[in-house]
Amino acid sequence: MIDSGFDRRDFLKVMGWGGAAVALSGCGNTSIEDGQETIVSYVEAPDYVIPSIAVYYNSTCAQCDAGCSINGRVREGRVLKLEGNPASAINRGKMCGLGQAGVQHHYNPDRLREPLLRTGNSGETITWEKAYALIAEKLTGVSGEEIAFLSGGVSGHLKALLGNYLDSFGCKNHFVYEALAPAVVRAANKKAYGVEMPRYNINKAKVVLSFGADFLGAWISPVHFSQQYAQFRRGVDGQRGVLIQVESKMTLTGANADRWIPIRPGTEGILALGIINALGTATGDIAAAVKGYDTARVSKETGVPPGQIDKIAAMLKLRSPSLVLAGGAAEGYAHGSQNAAAINLLNQVLGNVGKTVEAAAAVPFPQMAPATGNTAALKSLNDGLAAGKYKVLFSYATNPVFTAPGAIKFRDNMAKAGFKVAFAHYLDETALQADLVLPLDSALEDWGTQVPEYMADGAQINIQQPLMEKLHANTRGMGDILLALIKQRRADDYKKFADYYAYLRTAVLQNKGAFGGGSADDDTFWDETLSKGIIKLAGTKAALSGKAGVAGLKLPAPAEEDGQYPLQLIPSVNISLRDGRNSNQPWLQESPDPLTTIVWDSWMEIHPKKAAELGIVEGDIVEVTSRTGSIKTQAYLFPGIHPDAISIPLGQGHEALGRYAKGCGVNPFQILDAVFDKETGELAMHETRVKVSKTGQRVTVVKDEGPAGAKQIREKIAGQVSTDKVDLSKEV
Amino acid sequence: MSVSNLLENWSQFRHTHPVDDKPHDPYKWAMSIDLDACVGCNACSVACYAENNLPVVGKEKYAHGMAMHWMRIEHYWDEKLGEEGGSEFPDQGAQFLPMMCQQCEAAPCETVCPVGATNHTADGLNSQIYNRCVGSRYCQANCPFKVRYFNWYDYPTTDNVWPAEMNQQLNPDVTVRGKGVMEKCTFCVQRLNAAKVTAKSEGRIVHEGEVQTACQQACPTSAISFGNLIDPESRVHKQWRAQQVELDKDKQSKDEKEGGTNLRGYRILEDMRPYPSVMYLERVRESAI
Amino acid sequence: MHRFLRLPILLMGLFFAVSSYAADTPLPEPMTEDSLGPVVEQPIEFPHNRHAGDADKGGMQINCMYCHTYARRSAVAGIPPLQKCIGCHQNIESVRETPRIKKLFEYWDAKKPVPWKKVHDLPDFVRFNHERHIKRFIEQQNRPYQEACGYCHGNVKEMTVARRSKALSMGWCASCHQKDHPVTAEGGTPIGGQAYWYGFQKPVVADASAGALKAKGPNDCWQCHK
Repeated sequence: MIDSGFDRRDFLKVMGWGGAAVALSGCGNTSIEDGQETIVSYVEAPDYVIPSIAVYYNSTCAQCDAGCSINGRVREGRVLKLEGNPASAINRGKMCGLGQAGVQHHYNPDRLREPLLRTGNSGETITWEKAYALIAEKLTGVSGEEIAFLSGGVSGHLKALLGNYLDSFGCKNHFVYEALAPAVVRAANKKAYGVEMPRYNINKAKVVLSFGADFLGAWISPVHFSQQYAQFRRGVDGQRGVLIQVESKMTLTGANADRWIPIRPGTEGILALGIINALGTATGDIAAAVKGYDTARVSKETGVPPGQIDKIAAMLKLRSPSLVLAGGAAEGYAHGSQNAAAINLLNQVLGNVGKTVEAAAAVPFPQMAPATGNTAALKSLNDGLAAGKYKVLFSYATNPVFTAPGAIKFRDNMAKAGFKVAFAHYLDETALQADLVLPLDSALEDWGTQVPEYMADGAQINIQQPLMEKLHANTRGMGDILLALIKQRRADDYKKFADYYAYLRTAVLQNKGAFGGGSADDDTFWDETLSKGIIKLAGTKAALSGKAGVAGLKLPAPAEEDGQYPLQLIPSVNISLRDGRNSNQPWLQESPDPLTTIVWDSWMEIHPKKAAELGIVEGDIVEVTSRTGSIKTQAYLFPGIHPDAISIPLGQGHEALGRYAKGCGVNPFQILDAVFDKETGELAMHETRVKVSKTGQRVTVVKDEGPAGAKQIREKIAGQVSTDKVDLSKEV
Repeated sequence: MSVSNLLENWSQFRHTHPVDDKPHDPYKWAMSIDLDACVGCNACSVACYAENNLPVVGKEKYAHGMAMHWMRIEHYWDEKLGEEGGSEFPDQGAQFLPMMCQQCEAAPCETVCPVGATNHTADGLNSQIYNRCVGSRYCQANCPFKVRYFNWYDYPTTDNVWPAEMNQQLNPDVTVRGKGVMEKCTFCVQRLNAAKVTAKSEGRIVHEGEVQTACQQACPTSAISFGNLIDPESRVHKQWRAQQVELDKDKQSKDEKEGGTNLRGYRILEDMRPYPSVMYLERVRESAI
Repeated sequence: MHRFLRLPILLMGLFFAVSSYAADTPLPEPMTEDSLGPVVEQPIEFPHNRHAGDADKGGMQINCMYCHTYARRSAVAGIPPLQKCIGCHQNIESVRETPRIKKLFEYWDAKKPVPWKKVHDLPDFVRFNHERHIKRFIEQQNRPYQEACGYCHGNVKEMTVARRSKALSMGWCASCHQKDHPVTAEGGTPIGGQAYWYGFQKPVVADASAGALKAKGPNDCWQCHK
């Protein structure tokens, strides 16, 4: 710098003058940006559009299959946020986090935009006309038995149209597959109650005993059950409801239980029979069936302390009606049907049938009733593919290459199909294996009707309507695609429908009377229906059979210790990730898992005691090996799991799907053994046994809870009080 | 202002808040969260992301504690878990706590901002003015609840957190924050302002139920109550009254029945005297099982 | 420091200051109160004076809100959709072939919106609500619309395309909010009923004997900077 004489004071003086002058030049100028931005008005503005005021449209959420109704906030032609539609009896204006992320599915940058045709190992864009022509060509000369259509659960008019399309070439091979389906429970319910999905009135029960049914998290209709749960806690007849959760790995529902009971994996049915025994109220053949299940034996086999079993029985006896639920934890075994039967029997014995387990209303249009998915369908398809049976395979709303258990080698078998068409939103693992990929409109751009499997009060048909103009010019709605395809075969029947919208409108108006339209004219009724977003019907109610059955009830003894694979793998169903279809939505990846608060990754939950035995600490990368394969992930010490089990969440480990999902975590589906429920043929998800070994690597687990874990530092932040110390009657 | 005067009347000065001489009228927004109804599902958190243009920071930045969840669900286990006298399993489940800016009446963050970017509004909210903030982060350091979040990176532009077409989802009523700016829960002030505009144009105040925060609207169990604490018809007012929690007291004198029957309303870190506007109702666990 | 260098550095500072000041000014016009904003060129030079101007100057005295219709019910006043222009002009034969109208119809035939440049463009962190101001000044205080709109937008009826003629800075807005607005008339009758009250700060009794109350507009940061 310049030498002597120029000290700090001089510097400041000079800079000060210069600086002040510069600063002064800023005075009088504002941050006004006149002439910088363009303001574009409408050419023709619809009447109801007022800039900066939102309009709202009702539609149906498609993030899971609960069928909640949504109300979309739309501004200047863009849907911004989804709320619940208050008119729906299913969600009554409420929404879960998964539903909120529906906008991230719609605006997802990884959505497919053009039809793709496979050439070698890459895909080239083709036109829709070419795509349709190619499908017609590939179907020529192919008999109905050589065609397979794999889809997720479908209902409403799309199901009817799909059925007609498959009919048009005599194809009976519609495989409806859901990776996480309560199929064993459905079958058990059919036997015990006469219907597959009765209504579970949680809000009418005084005690809910749930065997692994995560009804607050990801089981069947979580938003609806959550609302019922809120009423349940406020109390029936002034008495607050009690939740007892029995499972080997804590679910979100288990985290909210008054009593969480860790049970030896697979022994849920034994406990149920033990409780019936402890109740002492059963007679006849039921009493005979449970005679051997005394408290001491049951306690030994399940690991539940005898005092606890007695307490449960006492509470169930005292507080009635109760409700007993069989969830994934009960049905995920080779004897899952037996477990579910024993649990349903408990409902019977307690007299809950007709009170908290009731008949649900059904939509009186069987062709619209939901075709529910299960895993046995996939196995069936897989067997056919392996035998080289199918010349053409269609796939819609499903991703079996990702979700099929590794042991059945679905990807290899799929390659044996002659021509594979995938209708998809993303280039997911299954679409990557296809020959032709057709891009779909998102759920927020499409027309449709949906009939939920789980009906709340009364029956309803959910309407799906676009919340805005199509984002990408070249995607199509599945209904429009099916209509174009069916016109190839049954032109005369369908040529009068210009598009799926016309088809839907005609079909709905045809049944105007049944839908409560009465004397209204067509246009008015249609507009009102769209405006409401749902069609409410009285529906038909099947009676519950109420026949307590012990026939065929034979629970196996608890599984033997497997020296080579000592731990049981419980793949967990996470509230946001589920089967992985929504893993490319960043809000969901960033949303911490409620129980571990881990984000953007997979983890293996292990009980601290077992971890200490194996010398595992948090963050250790462990290799989890089953008979089928192995995966590596980070360990997390979690007290809410049986020491003989470990748990890894499903839904991560994508190799495709999109930028937010790819490379995140590992996929436990890959290492699941091919064990199936004996009665229904459903994949027994919890029957995979594993061994865990350290790899020597360690990482920092990325989670929200901070390094101190979930301790309440210094003082009790989240307060808790027991029922005998609080007077809830004073509350508002 | 003498030193002795200051020391003598410290608690009064400490308590006195700029707004005290002008008590809130006609609005004082407050919230009440029922921890017994909260199931920890995170719906409120995701709804907040959607409504308020919260950036998704990704795994690496999350690991550095830079997550931007204005509403976060904390989970806690029972104190004795895994220790002497306790159980090795969480027998009574977990405890979930939705935590967001408590809009404190005597906010420790408001007094320390060097540029006055955070103030108390007339309707009882703690305001955060993005264009005024220079990013000193003193407010974040002072917040006892740690509910203030700093934009360490330029999320909209450099980090491209909203690649096309995700940027079309952004809520135009809420500023998209740039780098170097502090942000936090605002009780969905954009919704409050819109409701107030409608109400003012009709010559009335905002009625109970007319405006909902995003978290309240999403919550499937309706655990969150939000409203005007001054309005005697509002649920929030009735709940605070029933629980005998008063806004401007640092130690509630609850008139509890003998025999240990408690009211279950409380405020967090109340003894630090920030006078939070959020009341929590303790989670209840059955004693008979 | 060498005395020689001190002066040059000072001069350099002054030079930078003056040149940056000058650079901010649209040359050659000096900044005056009446022409604060830059001249903004629009795709079509829309003559406000012809449409909104006084009759004795050849104008049609159309109400501002006939075109900028959203002002009374939304935060933004809005630029009218092309349909609004065409609605009248499709029936005005006499000007159908003039250059500006021809251009207008070109846009209409191509169904393309006119890409207007935004004048009175407040920075993004400011949220101004037109509805409240229209309600207060036009509907409640019954001021003539040209006075109410013109307070911020200037004498638009004598302009062709709009040009900003008010500072529109925060200080300028706040100065109006700081003004005392009468809340009650003499004798204590509230002006405009209860509707008038809400939104003002608590009124200060200006003249206790006359019972007239005055109040200031909102000064809550979050009203405009949320």
